Amino acid sequence: MNLFLLSVLIIVSGGTLAVFLSRQFVMMRWVAVLSIGSGCCMGMLDALSRLISDAPLAFSIGHLSTLGLEFRIDGLSAFFLLAIFGICLMAAVYSFNYLSHVENRLSTAVSYLFFSLLTASMALVVTAANMLTFLLAWELMSLASFFLVVLDYQDPQNRKAGYLYFVFSHVGAMFIIVAFGLIYRDTGSFAFDATALAPPIKLLAFVFAFIGFGSKAGVFPFHVWLPHAHPAAPSHISAVMSGVMIKTGIYGILRMYVILDLHTPATGSLVVIAGVVSGILGVVYALGQHDLKRLLAYHSVENIGIILIGIGIGMIGVATQNPIMAVLGFAGGLLHVLNHAIFKSLLFMGAGMILHKTGTRTIDALGGLLKRMKITGVTFLIGSLAIAGLPPFNGFVSEFLIYLGSFRGIAGNPEVFALSLLAIVGLALIGGLALACFTKVVGVVFQGEPRSPAAEQVDEKGPAMLLPMLILAAGCALIGIYPGAFMFLATKAVASLGLPYGRIPTLPFAHLSANITLAATLFLAAVLFILALRKILYQGKPMGRGGTWGCGFTQPTARMQYTGSSYAGSILEFFKPVAPLQEDHPPVEGLFPSTTHYHSQIHDIVALHLDRFVVAPVVWLFDKLRWIQHGDIHLYIGYILLAIVVLLFFV
Amino acid sequence: MIESVLLWVFALLSAPLFAGVIFKVKAFFGGRRGSPLLINYYTLFKLIKKGSVYSTSTTFIFKLGPVVSLGAVATALLFMPLAGHAPVLSFNGDVIFILYLLGLARFFTIAAAMDTASPFEGMGAAREAYFPIICEASIFMILILFYRLTGDLALARYFSGGQPFGLWQTAGPPLLFVVMALFIILLTENARVPVDDPATHLELTMIHEVMVLDHSGPDFAFIELGSFLKLFFYAAMIARLILPFELGNSFLNLGLFSAGVLIVVVAVGIIESVMARYRMDRVPKFVLTAFALAFFATAITLEFLK
Repeated sequence: MNLFLLSVLIIVSGGTLAVFLSRQFVMMRWVAVLSIGSGCCMGMLDALSRLISDAPLAFSIGHLSTLGLEFRIDGLSAFFLLAIFGICLMAAVYSFNYLSHVENRLSTAVSYLFFSLLTASMALVVTAANMLTFLLAWELMSLASFFLVVLDYQDPQNRKAGYLYFVFSHVGAMFIIVAFGLIYRDTGSFAFDATALAPPIKLLAFVFAFIGFGSKAGVFPFHVWLPHAHPAAPSHISAVMSGVMIKTGIYGILRMYVILDLHTPATGSLVVIAGVVSGILGVVYALGQHDLKRLLAYHSVENIGIILIGIGIGMIGVATQNPIMAVLGFAGGLLHVLNHAIFKSLLFMGAGMILHKTGTRTIDALGGLLKRMKITGVTFLIGSLAIAGLPPFNGFVSEFLIYLGSFRGIAGNPEVFALSLLAIVGLALIGGLALACFTKVVGVVFQGEPRSPAAEQVDEKGPAMLLPMLILAAGCALIGIYPGAFMFLATKAVASLGLPYGRIPTLPFAHLSANITLAATLFLAAVLFILALRKILYQGKPMGRGGTWGCGFTQPTARMQYTGSSYAGSILEFFKPVAPLQEDHPPVEGLFPSTTHYHSQIHDIVALHLDRFVVAPVVWLFDKLRWIQHGDIHLYIGYILLAIVVLLFFV
Repeated sequence: MIESVLLWVFALLSAPLFAGVIFKVKAFFGGRRGSPLLINYYTLFKLIKKGSVYSTSTTFIFKLGPVVSLGAVATALLFMPLAGHAPVLSFNGDVIFILYLLGLARFFTIAAAMDTASPFEGMGAAREAYFPIICEASIFMILILFYRLTGDLALARYFSGGQPFGLWQTAGPPLLFVVMALFIILLTENARVPVDDPATHLELTMIHEVMVLDHSGPDFAFIELGSFLKLFFYAAMIARLILPFELGNSFLNLGLFSAGVLIVVVAVGIIESVMARYRMDRVPKFVLTAFALAFFATAITLEFLK
């Protein structure tokens, strides 16, 4: 038995044991965390060694005579496995202190069961080597995550989120099945091989697969489920779902690209445009959110957009025989998969800590948390800097590679030029908006004065929650300053895409990483020097403390601070056409005005129009067809008879 | 190499002087004698001698803000070719690194402002987060044009040696647009009229000045020095574009370069004297002009280079 299968077995058995041990609350958590954690550790090491040694592994479990379960681990799979096992390990450790309410014994046990199933199924998805295996693992993953979303089913909002997720993941799966069906129709085999297909069919299959996988990845406009489902799940599950589960959609797109062997600029254009739209709109909607976890969920849409821009630039590079552009694009996109997994799960874990301690996710009800939650605050700050793509953190490195790849396209023909321009300006806009959004989060949630009693008396406890956050934050800085090894891993994954040119030279990447390291080190040295200078300059100086100057107001209250809504207001005004803002604010009247309120909501145009243009027509149609189903059993038998007769005659 | 480092030190030392010229120009237009040219040095020394008062609302980020922003701009200047000479450091893609480093500085400036829990500083912070988004897009648009002209992505390849002159020769008229766009970006990024007014304090219309209200002592000196360096950084680019000549002697080159920077700061001073600040909701349109100019410049060269 190979190491990969063993680690999956250990993970699943950990979750299963948890259900049987649910009466002993503490022991159940120990058993579940230890076995899921050790399984993840093992899988991670296995994936890492496979990625470095460049040795693909294939194996099958063939007890069913017609359709065997086949698996294959190549560089691409190993790269995704690394992210999946790594993040699930962190989430498992985090869950030990997060799920500490004895009264929720049974739901905790169930959550461990589905968590282990989710981990295992994600690992199987990225290693599946034929269509049936893939779809089986894919469905298992969708179902396991569905149950995790509705874990807290008493809340009607969570039930709605679960329902939405269920519909979207299955409509998405339907599109994937159609794409696979198209391939099967022409090749007659379930194997992942479609090189013999005619180009138009290939393109059609790719578009269907893109819609299907895109709905899992949260690509605009198929992202509607995402901002509902991610906040509903427990925070460590949100971390896993947002950090790695949606990346299986990216894996699917890449795998389809490899299977179809389709090197036309059309695929690249589709992916880049979808990426730019997701990226910009994702972060615009994130800016308008009042719920911390929802805000983070919208940032997943944004980061999926960035990943897609990278991959699309790679595809264009391949199609136009521009190897450097291709490798930079793909490597940047893949590295961003890993980077986003790291900083997004870190941010969700921070949000989980806040939720755990204050009981609220409303951004405008928090404030001043940094003073009492030092570790959460600092790690969240690092995560924010990383997600905004700022050096010297990891988000910058992958965006840098994508930028370099896109600039390579500037010298190309007009079509490539236009797409590269779109990618570059899109990335610049996304970067600026993400900075605005995360200064809002850090500034309103962690800084200033507490805005509500809930935020006043907080502390941070739980070493099992703090440790993963520290490790992930260290990862952000490590990749940001020493990206060499991680670029190497990403190029290994790119190499297994089977691009139509030889080995990828590692020397340019070594130069790149050395340059980033040098520049980052210089910057850090400058900061340290100025810090030392500051210390000297303040030696023996009077240092006072006092209230913030309130411009003449002598009785300032915390309510007078700038809120997240007002902070984002003017930027949202700019994006009004794509992000309609609804405000509810009765005017203040009279000399002694009575109490008033302000409520604002930013509408997701897709969610807004989905109702009108998709849901309403479908409901209308089925309403009109209701006469078919009237409850008379004789007519039902008649339908069956009719169906048999028709089939007999015409098929 | 030594010459590059010396030039960098020259930039660090002379930046307050160039920023001081703006005061003189404004005084001239106002019919006053104005403050001495070295006023900024006096201000810095005065601030360094003082102690500080910190708000009880603030955390360590408040103290880190000035340090990070000064460090970022000083590092950015390492990559900027001064007076046509090669910069201390240069690599392919350094422009992107520098722009994002300046983004990091902005993040910390905003975070330091939000740290004080003051509604005014929040207001300034929100605007500081907003306008540079468009600026950044415009700069990247200019980079696209430069990449198209030189095939490279490093400041050293655009502004060192006789390179700027080559740029004018391949794409003269569009480059005029670029100079204008860069000037608009300079005004926005450095909190200048008509986007922001560095002279007034505590109006609801302020951006940069209101964000640094609660800073004092050496911390404030770091902020001031950082903003002088930032002005110098952008002015250096424009200076090389408007005076792209090589004089053979490095001293003459430095003189020419200084004259270029002087032209830019005098232009800033004149604009501050003859213009009023725009209403806040008009500012995005003004900044978008820079993007449009850069975009048209690129579109025009697309035809030229065929």
